[in-house]
Amino acid sequence: MSTLHLVRQSAFATNDFAQCLSVLDHQDSIVLMDDGCYNLKHSLMDSLIKRVDGTLSINVITRHAQARAIEISAAVQHIEMSDVVELTFNHTKVITWQ
Amino acid sequence: MTSSYTQEKNDLPPSNGLAIINSKAPFSSNHGKDALDVALIFGSFEQKVSLFFQGDGVYQLIADQDARLVSIKDYLKTFSAFEFYDIEDIYVCQQSLVNRQLEEKFHIGDVQVLSSIEFGLALNRHQHVLRF
Repeated sequence: MSTLHLVRQSAFATNDFAQCLSVLDHQDSIVLMDDGCYNLKHSLMDSLIKRVDGTLSINVITRHAQARAIEISAAVQHIEMSDVVELTFNHTKVITWQ
Repeated sequence: MTSSYTQEKNDLPPSNGLAIINSKAPFSSNHGKDALDVALIFGSFEQKVSLFFQGDGVYQLIADQDARLVSIKDYLKTFSAFEFYDIEDIYVCQQSLVNRQLEEKFHIGDVQVLSSIEFGLALNRHQHVLRF
């Protein structure tokens, strides 16, 4: 049982990302989209990247980050919206944090 | 002498203009565009307007953004019209920038970065406040 987490809100404005991380399992995947891209610069992200053990994948929608002038980070994978479709098929369920 | 400093602060003339606080990120809601419209309307009627950027609102000022990538009409470009509407007091909360690991690199000029205390003092000089 794996979950795909779609994070769409800024952790600087809401508690959503923190709640997402609190239920995160080691085989889950995270996609940062829309204002969720701002979380790349949040302190929660630093602790998450340290926690990543190879199975958990963190993705960001490239265009959404670029539109917001957010630096491309090497610690996360850069994907397009079409890749999200594939991710939904590779996980048993999806949670949208918005 | 601290007392004279306090005196000076208290003697600042209260501005009768309008303060608009921007507190939302630019692309996921209409708040930023609405605040811009209000500012320009007041400006075109020669009313004094000051803009305050706080919290996620500071993202509205960051350089090198491109709304077209997310299929949104780029209202941020209109910020460069502020000078033609005599909107000259633009304040940014420094703490909000620091929290978000943002540099003081903005897409418009004449932006004043203020510490939390100065930001509060500047806001409190205004009689009317709208928050978006």
